[in-house]
Amino acid sequence: MLDAFSRTVVSADAKGAAIGSEELADLRKYVADANKRIDATLAITQNVSCIAADAVAGMVCENTGLTQPGGHCYPTRRMAACLRDGEIILRYVSYALLAGDPSVLEDRCLNGLKETYLALGVPTSNAIRAVEIMKIATVAIMTETNTGRKMFKGINSGSGAQCKDIAAEAASYFDLVIEALC
Amino acid sequence: MKSAVTTVVSAADAAGRFPSMSDFESVKGSFDRAKARLEAAEKLASCLDKFTNLAVDAVYQNGSYEQANKDKCVRDIHHYLRLINYCLVTGGTGPLDEWGISGMREIIRIQLLPTAAYIEAFIYIRDEIKINDVMSQQAETEFKGLLDYLINALA
Repeated sequence: MLDAFSRTVVSADAKGAAIGSEELADLRKYVADANKRIDATLAITQNVSCIAADAVAGMVCENTGLTQPGGHCYPTRRMAACLRDGEIILRYVSYALLAGDPSVLEDRCLNGLKETYLALGVPTSNAIRAVEIMKIATVAIMTETNTGRKMFKGINSGSGAQCKDIAAEAASYFDLVIEALC
Repeated sequence: MKSAVTTVVSAADAAGRFPSMSDFESVKGSFDRAKARLEAAEKLASCLDKFTNLAVDAVYQNGSYEQANKDKCVRDIHHYLRLINYCLVTGGTGPLDEWGISGMREIIRIQLLPTAAYIEAFIYIRDEIKINDVMSQQAETEFKGLLDYLINALA
């Protein structure tokens, strides 16, 4: 597993060069943005069940056959598995976001995920839709552009607008999940 | 590769839980020290060749080691200093452990390398070179800590 620092080290080692000012500039930014990054991660961890439940509910609303007998979210046991998977994906996205590098998400969550779903008969198109909704919801909570109440209490209060860059980074991790399921 | 962040994430993943407030605190703590580390890494990168040559010249000028080995010694000291540069960036001893120290004893034994010369060179860098001229006090402390770690591993 890598983070933003060790990712720089691994790529420098491939060239056999020491890490100089150029590469360090990016890492300094990562360090300087630590509070925003933690806030953005908190936005996920404080709203996990809400994000996952909304995404699965949205997926079902768009395709009501899923909860009917014969549908993929019937009976409730399978619906519950769906919610659980949503939370697992959010957990790995939160790790990747904290580390500033997608390797933990790729190695421990996405590697073999599509094959598992195909073997279990989970329709990946629906799973992708749920991940898309989670992405939209997460970005909205991080940037505090969600309608209604403020969804999380960060270390820096009112940091929503400042979390924009990191929300974009989080969105890229959800895109990786979608890509892996396509 | 071990660093403050990956350690926290591994532990959270092993327990299947989201990163907690105390995880954030420990990540935050490592970032607070990061400024000195990154400065040390930057300055070391710019002085890598200088430090290597100064140290190796000093060790080889008294004639107690075979001059034929000098080039190899320069190469290895340079390599180890580069790994120290990596360690300063990650904030842990991961790169030194994984790429410099594990398996090192075996290689040294087979190739009959003069480790005493290496140790002398690193001690020279630690004690004789005025590191303070190029980096701040805190950065120097971080750098010297890793030099000590390497010297102990070689000894």
